[in-house]
Amino acid sequence: MNEASHQSFPEQPVARRPVSVESRNLGERANYAPDYIAFRNYSFYYGATQVLFDINLEIPERQVTALIGPSGCGKSTLLRNINRMNDLIDGIRHEGDLLIGRTSVYDPGIEVISLRKRIGMVFQKSNPFPKSIYENVIYGLRVAGRRRKSVLDDAVERSLKASALWDEVKDRLHESAFSLSGGQMQRLCIARAIANQPEIILMDEPCSALDPIATGKIEDLIHELKNDYTIVIVTHNMQQAARVSDRTAFFYLGKLVEYDHTDTIFMNPMEPQTEAYVSGRFG
Amino acid sequence: MRSPRKREHAPRAGAPIPERFRVARSTLIFDHAMNIVIKTGGIAVVGAIGGIFIFLLIQILPLFRGASIDYVGSFELPDLGIQAMGIDPWSEIPFFVDPDGTLHFLEIVDPGAPHNRGWFTVAPPLPPDTAFPFARFNQRYGKLLFGTDDGRFTVVNLNFEQSFPEHRQREIVPRLSGNPVIRIGRSDAVFEELDYVDAGRTKLAVALQRLGDGTSELHAVTLRATRPLIGDPVLRRDREFDLTGLFEGVPRFVRLTGDADFVIVGTEEGYLHLLARTRDGFEPRQTHRPFHDAASEAIHSMDFLFGDLSLILTNPEGRNVMYSIYHDEGEGHRILGRTKVFDLLPGGRGADFYSTSVRNKAFLIGSGNQAAIRYATTNATRWESELDFAVEHALLGGRYDRILFVDDANKMHLFELSDRHPETGLRAYFGKIHYEGRAEPEFMWQSTGGGDAFEPKISMVPLIWGTMKGTVFAMIIAVPIALLAALYTSQFIRPEMRGIIKPIMEIMESVPTVVLGFLAALWMAPLISGSVPSALLVIAALPAGILAFAAIVTALPRPARRWIRPGYEFLYFAPFMFGIGWIAWSLGPVLEGILFAIEDPGTGAVVADFRLWWTETTGAAFRQRNAFVVGVFMGFAIIPTIFTIAEDSMSNVPRSFRSAAYALGASRWQTAVTVVLPTAAAGIFSAVMIGFGRAVGETMILLMATGNTPIMTVNPFDGMRTLAANIAVELPEAAQGGTLYRSLFLGAMLLFLMTFLVNTLAELLRQRLRERYKAVE
Ligand SMILES: Nc1ncnc2c1ncn2[C@@H]1O[C@H](COP(=O)(O)OP(=O)(O)OP(=O)(O)O)[C@@H](O)[C@H]1O
Ligand SMILES: [Mg+2]
Repeated sequence: MNEASHQSFPEQPVARRPVSVESRNLGERANYAPDYIAFRNYSFYYGATQVLFDINLEIPERQVTALIGPSGCGKSTLLRNINRMNDLIDGIRHEGDLLIGRTSVYDPGIEVISLRKRIGMVFQKSNPFPKSIYENVIYGLRVAGRRRKSVLDDAVERSLKASALWDEVKDRLHESAFSLSGGQMQRLCIARAIANQPEIILMDEPCSALDPIATGKIEDLIHELKNDYTIVIVTHNMQQAARVSDRTAFFYLGKLVEYDHTDTIFMNPMEPQTEAYVSGRFG
Repeated sequence: MRSPRKREHAPRAGAPIPERFRVARSTLIFDHAMNIVIKTGGIAVVGAIGGIFIFLLIQILPLFRGASIDYVGSFELPDLGIQAMGIDPWSEIPFFVDPDGTLHFLEIVDPGAPHNRGWFTVAPPLPPDTAFPFARFNQRYGKLLFGTDDGRFTVVNLNFEQSFPEHRQREIVPRLSGNPVIRIGRSDAVFEELDYVDAGRTKLAVALQRLGDGTSELHAVTLRATRPLIGDPVLRRDREFDLTGLFEGVPRFVRLTGDADFVIVGTEEGYLHLLARTRDGFEPRQTHRPFHDAASEAIHSMDFLFGDLSLILTNPEGRNVMYSIYHDEGEGHRILGRTKVFDLLPGGRGADFYSTSVRNKAFLIGSGNQAAIRYATTNATRWESELDFAVEHALLGGRYDRILFVDDANKMHLFELSDRHPETGLRAYFGKIHYEGRAEPEFMWQSTGGGDAFEPKISMVPLIWGTMKGTVFAMIIAVPIALLAALYTSQFIRPEMRGIIKPIMEIMESVPTVVLGFLAALWMAPLISGSVPSALLVIAALPAGILAFAAIVTALPRPARRWIRPGYEFLYFAPFMFGIGWIAWSLGPVLEGILFAIEDPGTGAVVADFRLWWTETTGAAFRQRNAFVVGVFMGFAIIPTIFTIAEDSMSNVPRSFRSAAYALGASRWQTAVTVVLPTAAAGIFSAVMIGFGRAVGETMILLMATGNTPIMTVNPFDGMRTLAANIAVELPEAAQGGTLYRSLFLGAMLLFLMTFLVNTLAELLRQRLRERYKAVE
């Protein structure tokens, strides 16, 4: 880890310039679209407990970024801060900044609700609503006030096709979502997350409860989706990270240890900790 | 032969189980004991509920039984030429009046016993050397009416006393006292009909005479009681009126109503004429044709029901109808009208014998060997039978417990009648009934009233109505408040606040309702009744205030809005709403002055008073203790119940649903409405139902804060009486085993069934709803 850049940061309080891992390892910032997610000296606390330590991380647009690391290292916390889902928890606090496309998500001018509309989220445990498949998919559109039946129907078909579920459910759209299998439910949740055409999709261990076939389908799906969406995925499955992601960030005890192209992280990591983790020697 | 290997692996029978696999004896015993205790408890609860149900059922079943009659014995009568017959209130010594006016008593209790007096005669104090070919006994007033063959009549009072001679059985002793003989009508004709009524100040007699030329005359005489210096008051003739010209047709029947206000004449042609007594004479009021729709229009018989307000009429075909005097709103005075149509008499003949009960509205009627007991109030035939003798005279005993028949062979047959609850039945409890004196069929509850001829009104419908009215008003107030509070507490407020609110609500739930009732009756009712416009304004202002607050907050620039931290909105909202409420309350009188002002017709002054305005405009009553006040306080009594259960079920909606909704950009309100409420629907529903069940059974608040008038209106400013309050109100009046007593049990049963039904339905629905979200767990 580059300690120097961490220490140099306080002197540039309003830095809009990616630093640290990014400047060292990627060095291709000029090619990035302006829309990206950037953590700047970001620390996060649950009450008195610090969970994230001085994170500097840039997530590029229309790519898949995997977050890996041992349990409890703060991956989910990081992810949940991107769409400010952590706001619902009492006593949280952050330092530093978190930007999406150059705007801080903590900007007082930002409406959290509209921020969340820009960001789809898929949870570790699939959580369809106790409603029909159709209603599940269009929930995001409904709360956004879309009423036109044709718009809703199109969105259902488009998102279910995109999440590779259309053929399996097209004849039972009005049945309860609970009648689906676990893998189908998770794909339904993905369809729901993309129905309102967000810019970013956050996935927190989306395949942890699924069998290899369902996992395979979702991985294929992620490949498809990355053409249109920026995807951040948390996973404990090294093969999955290697298969689906373009970049991988390795966290350990709330710190970002290493962030690089996935190939680099798995083939030629800089840090011995990363090496140890990806080769399965601890975690 | 078994292989040794196999034996090694098979568990050896009888071999001790290794210590580590054993279960401690105490664990087993405890487990077993607890099993039994829990099972017993469960069975005891079910048993208790079943027991209550069965007990209630046992109490109310007699209400729906008919009458039964047992034969007691027969007595040979001497050939007396019976003019009239009667019986004492204890039904022990019936008597028969012979053409000389002599009363022949027969003691029918313990016939043949040494103390039995058998036959004995008493001669009434009648003037000597006079024949009395006309005699009639009025069982209700104990008056014997005697008529001569030359236009004179007299009234003999017959009282019965109990005497207890030494060493002997109790005896019933008749006491007779006479009055002067009074002239009525013509002296050259015999009486065909004679009636006399003593209505206190007014004493009236009427006589129908048939003359030699076949025409009839009707005369009325008013009497006056003069009180001599010494002794009893004496009847004197006051004025005489000839009523013959007041109606058309040949009179055959004539009766005086019990209040001496009306003469009712039935004619040969089948007409019924109502003549009203005015200050100085009589005037015709109405003419009816009771059997205009029958093949035979003639009136065959016409007799009063107990109370002397309703006539039971029959025609020769056995049609049986009732005409009653009642007050008519439209006419503005009392009129005669058909109120009941009974079943055809058995045998299809007009009534040849009739006797009214002097206890209730039952009457014994029939002809030949067909006899029936009917109950006028409920239109019901209590008993009906074909006898094996032809009846000449019949009498219903004084306490509605004996029946006497005299047959054509001069034999008297005595029956015992057991009919404890003649006035009840499904129709009495749940049907509209045309009660005596009322203009139309109604649902009414009025269990006791003045006078012995009072007709108990025992409809459960006004009470069910009252229960529902109270419940509905309470629910209108409680459900929105409780559910919104639950939603707010479970979804919006900070968890610390939630930890304070929930226990407070639970304490509120345990406030005795008598305290709430007390507050409602003594504080709230007077307060509200003087400030209805203020209360209405507050009710209207609260939602408006909410919208205003929301508009203000949204209009604030975003950075300013950050001052209001999520979950602490109430810090700003509550004072704001209090302010709005206070302003609304203070503006009440202004609103009253603008909208609810009426001009006093007397003084021409304009008064702003909602109470007057309400009564004036809607024509409905305004009472201080009304459904609105009850709704508010009963609402408060059930809010905690609904709140607690609903809040639990809303908090139990899995976090993952809410997270999903938030992540999709739903606002807190959208999440609450589109995700939390549907998912918690089962719990919310059962919360509402349990609240409903509580409201249905609630007693104290209703007892104290309503006038307990069993009326059926939707008017929020009028009172009502509920099933539960009714039991509390009437219990002291109910004699054990009596009709009222059992009717109260019926009310209890309805209450039990209502709450049971509501709770069962709620539980079933809840299970169904829960089934839908089963995959969640
Ligand atoms: N709501 C919370 N309140 C307090 N502490 C929390 C909360 N959520 C998480 N933590 C703590 O923050 C740390 C990071 O948790 P986080 O869920 O981000 O880990 P993770 O990397 O996602 O782990 P896993 O791989 O097991 O999901 C943990 O030590 C956890 O105990
Ligand atoms: Mg996690």
